[in-house]
Amino acid sequence: MRFTVFQDSQIGGRRVNQDRLAYSYSKDSLLMVIADGMGGHARGEIAAEIAVNTLNNRFQAEARSAIRRPKEFLESSIHAAHRAIVAFADKNDMLECPRTTIVAAILQNGKAQWAHVGDSRLYFFRSGRLAVATQDHSRVQQMIDAGIITPDQAAVHPDRNKIYNCLGGVLPPNVTQSEEWTLQIGDSIWISTDGFWGPLHATPISDRLLHEDILALVPKLMEEAERKAGPESDNLSVVALTWERQEEDAADRADRGVGTIPMAGYTTTMNTTQQSASIKYEISDDDIEKAIAEIQNAIKKVSR
Amino acid sequence: MASQSNQPLPEGYQLKNYLIDKVLSSGGFSIVYLAHDEAGTPYAIKEYLPAALAVRSDGADVSINSDENLSVFRHGLKCFFEEGRSLAMISHPNIIRVENFFRANETVYMVMQYVRGRTLQFHVQRHRHEFSENFIRSIFTHLLNGLREVHANKLLHLDIKPANIYVTMEGRPVLLDFGAARQALTEDAPKLRPMYTAGYAATEQYHHHEQMGPWTDIYAVGATMYTCIGGSYPQPANERMEDDQMEPLRNLARATFSEDLYDIIDWCLQLDHMSRPQSAFELQKALMKDSTEWRADVAVNDSESSFGDRLKATLSKKLF
Repeated sequence: MRFTVFQDSQIGGRRVNQDRLAYSYSKDSLLMVIADGMGGHARGEIAAEIAVNTLNNRFQAEARSAIRRPKEFLESSIHAAHRAIVAFADKNDMLECPRTTIVAAILQNGKAQWAHVGDSRLYFFRSGRLAVATQDHSRVQQMIDAGIITPDQAAVHPDRNKIYNCLGGVLPPNVTQSEEWTLQIGDSIWISTDGFWGPLHATPISDRLLHEDILALVPKLMEEAERKAGPESDNLSVVALTWERQEEDAADRADRGVGTIPMAGYTTTMNTTQQSASIKYEISDDDIEKAIAEIQNAIKKVSR
Repeated sequence: MASQSNQPLPEGYQLKNYLIDKVLSSGGFSIVYLAHDEAGTPYAIKEYLPAALAVRSDGADVSINSDENLSVFRHGLKCFFEEGRSLAMISHPNIIRVENFFRANETVYMVMQYVRGRTLQFHVQRHRHEFSENFIRSIFTHLLNGLREVHANKLLHLDIKPANIYVTMEGRPVLLDFGAARQALTEDAPKLRPMYTAGYAATEQYHHHEQMGPWTDIYAVGATMYTCIGGSYPQPANERMEDDQMEPLRNLARATFSEDLYDIIDWCLQLDHMSRPQSAFELQKALMKDSTEWRADVAVNDSESSFGDRLKATLSKKLF
């Protein structure tokens, strides 16, 4: 497998970075994953970290060669991540269960398969255009589908951050699976959180991909997105990968972040501790305020 | 430190916009006050105050009396929030309504609708011999309306018992105390801590939490009906699993009840969770069966049907 990969995460104008991301690959298989911990609830970053760790750990346990059934792997891993988040909240007596989105892709045998929950996105670019993208599990996406608002209106809609499907919620996540895509040289797969895709349009990205490679392009776009969002910018994160010529003797560009096909073991790059067990939780004033606000909200919503 | 008791908030204490009138009850983890707001509307306010852990000696602020107690305090606090969250989701005449939830005095408070009445426990102790079949069928049919709402919100109560059912002056049952309630009606429910009342808890509450569902609350409803007729709760489910010596209700009843009602209660009290009514609605339908189908069994006693009126009279005397 030969590919170029680049990832970055910025805190934006927030106090905490609640985004977690990772890519991990063996000789035959690659996982890329992003989770965006939900800010309206307590400790989204804990949920995001557990989610990314769960997928990463399961990938490393199962990807001895290729993952046998990528679709089932993604489905069961995302549900396992949900259960791990709920169990963590229960064990630590958290006042409410932290929540997160997730989007993850498996690339192997020249094919790509991905799955998502919430509004973190996957873009699949081919030949200078956006070939396919995930559909957000968000209120505004529902309104777009119903023809009530346009995508441009959605970008500034007050409910643009509301999602109806997540990990750590009362209901287990409802995972949306992609079709299986056969990869071609130059295909570029991007997963990102709304802090990144929100301020940017996908079309100009696909145009620029014709002229620039991701190692140069992604850092520029990160800057652009943060600048456009201004001082209130959300956390922004992206993992971008371009599928390269698969000849074994092609020039190695390891120094530029190209996958180097380890003969054994795994290469993992992530911004988490990899050890969910080591995550510390101490109840804070902020947690109590958020839990009270949620109850107050529910009281108002259902009051007679 | 064990027997340290906490000072409740004094009468006339101004808690946000509520004025404290008196202590209604005081349990291991909380004190419930009667209070009223500016408009004079009465409320029951529950204060999180675990007696053995948190201390209020003078002043209003609560402090925790040792570090190792902090985790127990936190677990209790979480349950207090779970109760608030559960109740906030539901507005139903047979479920106690939470009106407000706030933080003060270094602890948290839950403001609930104030219901005038007595617990079913009280009535079982004082008036059991007056319970008629009509009364039991009616009160539980109404209670199940509330329970259906609980289950529709993907919650399980998990601690239904006579002490947690209020009967208002009009004879309306109101389900209280959601401290054990869990958002557990999902396909992958979290592992729950043991939390049960012996006699009312179903088998799956002891060992197989993954098998809990609406039928778990149904067992408790069955045990509560058993207590109403038999005067004491049935043999606890964990003992019945070892050696089922549950006294048949027919032997304990002082009045005559229909075979149909005994069968319904037996059905609820099946140890196998799959053998019970699977939903509150299913049990409700059985209880609401046309009385001609069961009345033949019962020598109808006219004086029985007046319990509702007697109840009202008793309560009026006690409270006003």
